[in-house]
Amino acid sequence: MTTGSVGQPAGSRSRSLALAAVGVLSLAACGGVNGDAAPSQTVTLYTCVSDDTIQPVIQAFEKGRPGSRIDLFRAPTGELNARVAADVRSGGLRADVVWGCDPLTVQALVDQGLVGGWTPPDSDAIPGEYRTDDYVGAAVLYMVAVHRTDVPAPRTWSDLTGPGYTDAVAVPDPSVAASALGALGWFAEDPDYGVRFYADLRSNGAVQVSTPDDVTTGVAQGIYAAGLTTANSAYAAKGDGSPVDVVWPDPGAVAIYGPVALATSSADSQAAQDFIAFVVGDDGQRVLGKAGSYPTRPGVAGPALPEGAPIVSPDWATIRKDQEAILSDYRQVFGG
Amino acid sequence: MPPGGTPTPARTSATVAVLAVLAVLVALPLLRLAQVVWQDGDGDVLRVIGSDGLGTAARNTVVLASGVTLAAVPIGVAMALVLRRPDLPGRAFWRAAVLLPVVVPDFVLGYSWTQAYARAGFTDTLLGLSWAGLLGPLGVWLVLVVNAAPLVYLVVAVGLAARAEPDLERAARVSGAGSVTVLRTITLRLSLPAVSAAAVLVFVLTLGTFAIPQVLGAPAGFSTVTTRIYADLSIGGDPGSFLEAVTLALLLVLVAVACVAPTDAFLGPRLRASRPADAQGTPSSPERRAVRRAEAAGLAGYLFLTVALPLAALLLSSVTGALGVPPTPGNWTVDHFRQVLTPRTVEALGRSVGLAGIAATLLVGLGGLVAVVESRRAGRATASLITLTLVLPGSTLAVALLMTYGRWLSGTLTLILLAYLAKLWAFAHRPIAGALDRLPPDELRAARVSGAGALTAVRTVALRPLAPALLGAWLICFLTALHEVTMSSLLYGPGSETLAVVVLNSEELGRKGPTAALSVVLALLVVGPALVLWCVLDRLRTRRAGPPTVRAGGIAHVG
Repeated sequence: MTTGSVGQPAGSRSRSLALAAVGVLSLAACGGVNGDAAPSQTVTLYTCVSDDTIQPVIQAFEKGRPGSRIDLFRAPTGELNARVAADVRSGGLRADVVWGCDPLTVQALVDQGLVGGWTPPDSDAIPGEYRTDDYVGAAVLYMVAVHRTDVPAPRTWSDLTGPGYTDAVAVPDPSVAASALGALGWFAEDPDYGVRFYADLRSNGAVQVSTPDDVTTGVAQGIYAAGLTTANSAYAAKGDGSPVDVVWPDPGAVAIYGPVALATSSADSQAAQDFIAFVVGDDGQRVLGKAGSYPTRPGVAGPALPEGAPIVSPDWATIRKDQEAILSDYRQVFGG
Repeated sequence: MPPGGTPTPARTSATVAVLAVLAVLVALPLLRLAQVVWQDGDGDVLRVIGSDGLGTAARNTVVLASGVTLAAVPIGVAMALVLRRPDLPGRAFWRAAVLLPVVVPDFVLGYSWTQAYARAGFTDTLLGLSWAGLLGPLGVWLVLVVNAAPLVYLVVAVGLAARAEPDLERAARVSGAGSVTVLRTITLRLSLPAVSAAAVLVFVLTLGTFAIPQVLGAPAGFSTVTTRIYADLSIGGDPGSFLEAVTLALLLVLVAVACVAPTDAFLGPRLRASRPADAQGTPSSPERRAVRRAEAAGLAGYLFLTVALPLAALLLSSVTGALGVPPTPGNWTVDHFRQVLTPRTVEALGRSVGLAGIAATLLVGLGGLVAVVESRRAGRATASLITLTLVLPGSTLAVALLMTYGRWLSGTLTLILLAYLAKLWAFAHRPIAGALDRLPPDELRAARVSGAGALTAVRTVALRPLAPALLGAWLICFLTALHEVTMSSLLYGPGSETLAVVVLNSEELGRKGPTAALSVVLALLVVGPALVLWCVLDRLRTRRAGPPTVRAGGIAHVG
């Protein structure tokens, strides 16, 4: 009620503020136009693979192809999906290449006609379970068991439902992490396991946390004794010196591959195609393997993988088809 | 001049400016979200609303927000009242200590609590005591309360600084009123606008909060609307889940409208009170020493459990080589610091500090503008409107802005700045509004009549009583913008990498050491300059305000 007398000065301040706002907006608008007219040598890459992996890969590519530049947007899958969805609704996808962390995400983009329709000529060298006609797997995440060194190592996945791990197992949430959904999908389709595996875990006192990384954190901290997580994260904790160990349990660690795909709006971009070919080619795979990711190309050295470690691959097409049903069965067990 | 009456040209242009910014930051992005639901939805909205588990998540969200508000507001108010007493032992220290939770970023808060209190945590290792309930609804609630209390304290303290009437309180005491009566009928009554401002902020903030429910709630299957939005965005990436995420976000907006608009409409005009121009004087009468000691002891206990232990856990994590090894000196290392303090990080940090500073400064202006405009009938709804973008989870607000302005601004720092402004406008406005109605109009008029220019009058008459509120609002906005991760991680582009990118890089693979180190760096970055500023301001204040009249207000209230 008393503000009438401050009207004068506040008004003039407001005018300058409004002017400033207009100025900022128009300045930025000019900046945006430049971005659209990018030279064809520049490739915009959207990815969720780790910074430790993507930086060396980009450096190696740019070094081998002078004049080319990769504009990187790296974010966790959730943020990446949101960015793509917002792009689509504001003038179209701004990426030339999308490198996802799981096939479900990338397949959804194919179904919307945003990516796909092209793979590098020598994609055949990549195992068939890691590619489709629309995209090729560039790296693999393995879902393994991580456990405290003061509890016995689980030999098979079903060991985790046994008395040695009562009230002490953590599993990642399949409605948050695609890697966890991949694992759930594999267990659900396997006759020896099925969603029953999760019910047994639950009745043994297992707890569902959010992401695989949260599983690793919890086990390393000592809140849980064992859990289901990615090999990269488990080995990183072990490498740091946390009192944990990594097991590739029978019948196998679940392989989740991260596909790289060409945007349909950049179908004729040579630089973008070159980048994809580099990433799944020998040189790119070697760089990626050295940087700590598991390569898809056979014979290329990667991070720790025990001799003869069992590996299984989910049937992604079935998981995509049955996703709702599988998740709904799962929710009967772990709620949420 | 009738208060709030005849519109002067200046007032009109203030209103126009607010409306324009309101359209850019709030209305257009929200309408864009609604348009997506309308166009892509095709009747699917009902399916989303009816999907299983949503009812539980929605109920959890509202109950949590109410519960946090009901607990955090009394705690914050109590802290503000206790710390107002000049005879409180160690007052200067406590005033800084209660604000400490604010310097710890959201993204490590949940972790630091589990490290302190969960199985194999601090208390478990030392005393064999651990709290299983921490990983569940109760834990989520408690951590959110502890984190919201300093915000309430700050808003109420700056409100009290501008509004308190020590002479009135003394008069009441002299006339025989007990201390409880004085508290109830004068002190609390006068601080009501600030208290209600704080309550609205805490409620809306909790509705849209994500990090803590995700980390601490998940193990108990405790889901909220925000955790569902995150799940929708994370899995699949198909249009259906995106639509669901946007619909849920708009649902949060509706909840906020339903709760905040009536509160603003009903309470807003009733809580205002005008102040006699010359109200000043010493803070209230001294109390018995034993009471002060008890208050200090209570505060110490509370801060030890809620601030000191989790902070210590965080600090030790940042210097301990790995998770799960004893945090003893033998295992200490500076590796984590070396890992996060790369030239790239420093560049991103600098960018974030600059961006947060610009955002906070603009926000204080924008917040003040709304506070001026809302006293007119036409502007009354403004306060409620700008609260609507605060309730949106960062991910959805970023998506809304990207859809609205992405064509021109995608990947630019400007878009990130717009996101900060949209998210934090209410943060800046409410503390200022809680103090602004106490501007002494007669003094301003007197200054103008005596020949002072408009600017001089504002600077010397209006800004002085408002300074604590402005500084408090700036501080809240700066810290929140500095710690913000979700929006900038979604909006950044080449050349506009902010702190968020560094945080997400360091969080990779579940290694908490580097993230803890980063938080420590951030905290030092804030606490260092704040301490210097505080000392300088304290010296200035004591030099200016000579005895016997010590101003009740003062910068030190926001320590």
